[in-house]
Amino acid sequence: MGMTEALRDVAVIGGGMTVFGKFPERTHESLGREAMLAAMKDAGIKPKDVGFASCGTVYGGWCVGQRMLKEVGISDMEFLNVENACASGASAFREAWLRVAAGQCDIAIAGGVESMTTSPVAGKLIPPPPDDVDGQLGLTVPMFFALMMRRHMHEYGTTPEQFARVSVKNHDNGCLNPYSQYQRRLTVEDILASRMVCDPLSLLQCCPNSDGAAAVVLCANEVARRFTSTPMVVAASILGSGDYLHKWEDATFSNMSHKAAMAAYEMAGIGPKDIDVVELHDAFTVAEIMHYEDLGLCSKGEGGRFIDSRGPWLDGTLPVNPSGGLLSKGHPLAATGVAQVVEVWRQLRGGAGKIQVSGAKTALTHVMGGYVSGLESGAISVHIFKI
Amino acid sequence: MGQRVPFREGLFSEGADDVCLTGNRCRKCGQIYFPARSLCFACLAEDLEPIGFGREGTLYSYTVSYMPSLRFEAPFYAGWVNAREGVRVFAPLVIEEEAQLIIGMKMELLVAELWREGEKSVVGYKYRPL
Repeated sequence: MGMTEALRDVAVIGGGMTVFGKFPERTHESLGREAMLAAMKDAGIKPKDVGFASCGTVYGGWCVGQRMLKEVGISDMEFLNVENACASGASAFREAWLRVAAGQCDIAIAGGVESMTTSPVAGKLIPPPPDDVDGQLGLTVPMFFALMMRRHMHEYGTTPEQFARVSVKNHDNGCLNPYSQYQRRLTVEDILASRMVCDPLSLLQCCPNSDGAAAVVLCANEVARRFTSTPMVVAASILGSGDYLHKWEDATFSNMSHKAAMAAYEMAGIGPKDIDVVELHDAFTVAEIMHYEDLGLCSKGEGGRFIDSRGPWLDGTLPVNPSGGLLSKGHPLAATGVAQVVEVWRQLRGGAGKIQVSGAKTALTHVMGGYVSGLESGAISVHIFKI
Repeated sequence: MGQRVPFREGLFSEGADDVCLTGNRCRKCGQIYFPARSLCFACLAEDLEPIGFGREGTLYSYTVSYMPSLRFEAPFYAGWVNAREGVRVFAPLVIEEEAQLIIGMKMELLVAELWREGEKSVVGYKYRPL
């Protein structure tokens, strides 16, 4: 019997998050308290119901989970704090899933928190590791994505307008999501005319650094209906890391993302055609175009045509980032992966308001990142949910 | 002119009339590395032989950064160049204007100053159109 057959089904029964934005006056405790309390109230649980807690942060310092949860009555139990770059929140979620699935407890809480405006990288680019040869020669994260973008244009004829349309879509969606950092519609012209960061990547095609927190409550599916009539089952949970750069020949395609997605589809027993809504890691417009392809939402090289077809728009065949994504909703690093789960929880139970994808029953979340010298990227996580 | 020092040891060699990127190859399984490694990641052998990747390469992609980075004032050009043995190298590009750059064009390696540290000239590899 494989590991997954030995595990219990686990469901999400509650979720909550702060509005994302720039809140330099707020502490991790304050952001975390708000998200944790919202998730606990949404689930209808009390502090004593929780048997395990995991929390992701990159810049939040030690014991961030204890610092947040002591503010909502949770103490004296097992806490685990997780750092896995932009996938920290998803990693914390996966750990909580695994604990409940393995039978350690019936109810666990997972969170992610980040205050980028009070972090050591506030107002700056996240620097490459000091031992990184490419970093010494000038490579930055936006440059890395600009290089992939230029190659995608060369290989597949993807146009600047097609990349810009990703940002138009996600900002349109963000205007409909009260949790989104930006509430502003943009045109293709606005995006292409914004300050050039690394040609062909302009400023309005890059996600902001943000502050925020998100939390979800997980429960053994066999008892989940005590708390909600709409438990959202975790159908797949995958966490991986990037392979050596010398094995990454095609820089227009994320091997690690593809591999994690294929493993998730296999675990869930469904394919990309069965997914109703996707929240993916659009740190840059080019990343969203690439992830359409590596997650199998369209064929390789067809990302530009997929956005033109309006497939990934809110009213399209497969809405992608109805929340506004990282580009509009914002990117508090470790909160992002958990916030994606909160977003799809609202979608699948039919409570997503103006960004509701009508009739959505299955969802996929995808988050990755972490500049590690010599690897494609640090960490990748894909989850699939069903209701 | 002060002392001329490489930004890091062991990444390139400069002969009388040639420059070359240098890495190594595992004598046991043949895996190639740039930069050179002391341990083969494929088979954990510690017996690796030095190899050169030549002077020429092909432009795989490029960008112009309008943001300064740690050591470079904006704007600056950089790209990925495919060198021999399937090695892809990130490097600053030396060009007059962006219109000169075409993906797939032949590039040649040069060693030039990256930045100054007091009296010292810190040098590293760059590529320019051939």
